Amino acid sequence: MKSIRIYLILFFVACLSQFSFGQISGSAHDFNNENWNSSGEICIVCHTPHNSNTTVAGAPLWNHQVTSSTFTPYTSATLDATAGQPGASSKLCLSCHDGTIAVENYGGRTNGSEIISGNDLVGTDLSNDHPISIAYNTALATTDGGLNDPSTANSGLGSTIANDLLFAGQMECASCHDVHNGGGNSNLLRISNASSGLCLTCHNK
Amino acid sequence: MKLYFIVLLYIFAGTPGYVTAQSIISSKHNLSVSGPGSVKSTSKSEICIFCHTPHNSNPQVPLWNRNNSNTIYTIYDNSVSSSINATTGQPDGSSLVCLSCHDGTVALGNVLNSATDIFDGAGTKMPVGSRGFLGTNLSDDHPISFVYNSALSVSDGNLKFPPEYPATLDENSKMQCTSCHNAHNNMYGNFLVASNEFSGLCIKCHDNNYWDFSSHSTSPAIWNGSGTNPWIHVETPFASVSQNACANCHKPHNAPGKAQLLKSTLEENNCLDCHNGNVAQASKNIASELTKLYKHNVSGYNLLHSPNENTAGVNHVECEDCHNPHAANSTTASAPNANGALKGVAGINQDGVVVNPVSYEYELCYRCHADNSLFASTTTRQIEQNNTRLEFDISNPSFHPVAGTGKNTNSPSLIAPLTESSIIYCTDCHASNGTNAPAGPHGSIYPSILKYQYVKADNTVESSSNYALCYSCHSRTSILNDESFKEHDTHIREENTPCNACHDPHGINNAQGNSINNSNLINFDLNIVFPNKGKLRFEDRGNFRGRCFLTCHGKRHNNLSY
Repeated sequence: MKSIRIYLILFFVACLSQFSFGQISGSAHDFNNENWNSSGEICIVCHTPHNSNTTVAGAPLWNHQVTSSTFTPYTSATLDATAGQPGASSKLCLSCHDGTIAVENYGGRTNGSEIISGNDLVGTDLSNDHPISIAYNTALATTDGGLNDPSTANSGLGSTIANDLLFAGQMECASCHDVHNGGGNSNLLRISNASSGLCLTCHNK
Repeated sequence: MKLYFIVLLYIFAGTPGYVTAQSIISSKHNLSVSGPGSVKSTSKSEICIFCHTPHNSNPQVPLWNRNNSNTIYTIYDNSVSSSINATTGQPDGSSLVCLSCHDGTVALGNVLNSATDIFDGAGTKMPVGSRGFLGTNLSDDHPISFVYNSALSVSDGNLKFPPEYPATLDENSKMQCTSCHNAHNNMYGNFLVASNEFSGLCIKCHDNNYWDFSSHSTSPAIWNGSGTNPWIHVETPFASVSQNACANCHKPHNAPGKAQLLKSTLEENNCLDCHNGNVAQASKNIASELTKLYKHNVSGYNLLHSPNENTAGVNHVECEDCHNPHAANSTTASAPNANGALKGVAGINQDGVVVNPVSYEYELCYRCHADNSLFASTTTRQIEQNNTRLEFDISNPSFHPVAGTGKNTNSPSLIAPLTESSIIYCTDCHASNGTNAPAGPHGSIYPSILKYQYVKADNTVESSSNYALCYSCHSRTSILNDESFKEHDTHIREENTPCNACHDPHGINNAQGNSINNSNLINFDLNIVFPNKGKLRFEDRGNFRGRCFLTCHGKRHNNLSY
């Protein structure tokens, strides 16, 4: 009886340890030391407490210039979902990562020159990137056959995929990435991809 | 206490559902450190990464993370198999991404989203010689990347269209690796999309004539454990012939017998690996027959046979010339009809016209033994004819009743149930010798692959064994009692003259002989029977009566009547 208690305690400790808590400070999105960020602030690159940019619906107190690019979505003969133009939240990510707007174009500035590059550059051609802004629901999972049902499958973050990883039922950049590094994982992933854990959260392969 | 168990059960039941038998995780395609195979990374824990990347993939679909091998492949095309109807080219589509590991040219850890080798840092490639190693020579693999449409189905004649689920074509209607394989799911072995027991996957596309009723499709025979495992070419063979089905003979990858993707380069070995007494029943043990001196020498010819050859092909004999392995079964028949063993094979009919399939057994024999000069007569006779088809023509003055009822209406020596209206098979005389030998002319200790002894030499002492072949149908007692020809006993027993001296067992063609001189299969052996005063002739004078003009054993027959 006592040993079972100990095992249970150990088990819950092990569970908790899966959720390593990260923070934006020190992460790839901590820009306070960048020479283009004279303010030394972290949040300011994206957010402002006042007079935020409301051109994108749902943008959270947005302080950065928003991309107006037209994107080439991912297509595949075996893709059962349909990827259209990026949704609102993904468009905010692409406002730096599509390479059309300088990272320092925040707070009303539009003439920056610091364009994202290398592995961080996603570009406007999204055809070689995992599809985003796709409706991911029970019907899609059934049709595809290789996806977990988001309404019932555990996300590993406490609830279902639909509740934890989707946005209005859509898969977006933020389904995999936590812009604020909440998970403390490499590549700002929400869930560690050790043993492809992130991929296999949705993909039933 | 009980509550804890329930809680524990709940926790274990709640572990992620992807850890199942058919998941990629438990398959050899899990190249991560957690993979079950012998070929796997020494440290990388990510699984998908060996093939996929979420960003900057190439090719874009399916989010591919591997460098392409950029190889020009040797393909399976009509230079490999003259019977292929599909038009094949360099691999394309999804097959290319499979080959980026399986051709063995690109390191398993050479992925786009890492500057260094993620497998083991050492550039390890698909091991040469492993079952997964296809190499850059795909001419010994099932063709891929060809358009599979209704036109192909029609021109081939043995392909279904569309293929049955779950065998699928790609978006360009092409057959690809993915038509048979699902890289993510190994529940059926070899990452097949369906179980191949009873060749369930092969027959999603292949619709071979006769197959469903062939012994190779239905036989429950199993290997008895002796000799070499006939299914050693299969990674995980099933127990019986019917379960292995196509895989009894065929190998879809790295096939030694490229053209038909056969497991063995030597045609006969595809058959004899089972027909050696270790799988097929003893009555189908052909290998032992082929060790005899006189045989259809299938091991004497290699790579000359082609399934679509015409009768003007290169001289050879293979098992497949007489047997269609997709059709053969144990159905019995009565002469002259071809039995199940000869089902679905081509031949030449009595009119000299190619027929496919044969209806009558002799039509198959004519395929080689008629209308060509391959086979010289074994006895030098008055009338020479090497075209067996013409020897058995039913308009001949006399012939053994193979292609039709014989001419002789009074043959007292016939052993019941044979009668003057009976028809016999070529294989009633030409067959493997031995009491329990397999049917058919596979091999014999007697010349001309005869079923029983048939001594043709002059001065042979008569015995039941020396002329056992003749006596198997014609009663020795009747013959020696002179029930037909009054001098049989004198000639055969007293003078030691062989049957073959006077009789030509096949027949005498009507264009060369006539009903007076060549009735009763009379066509003298010129090594034994000589002219008398320039005359060498038999004349039929009615029932059991005739006269001869000849010299034999020094005795002159000058109009000698009986």
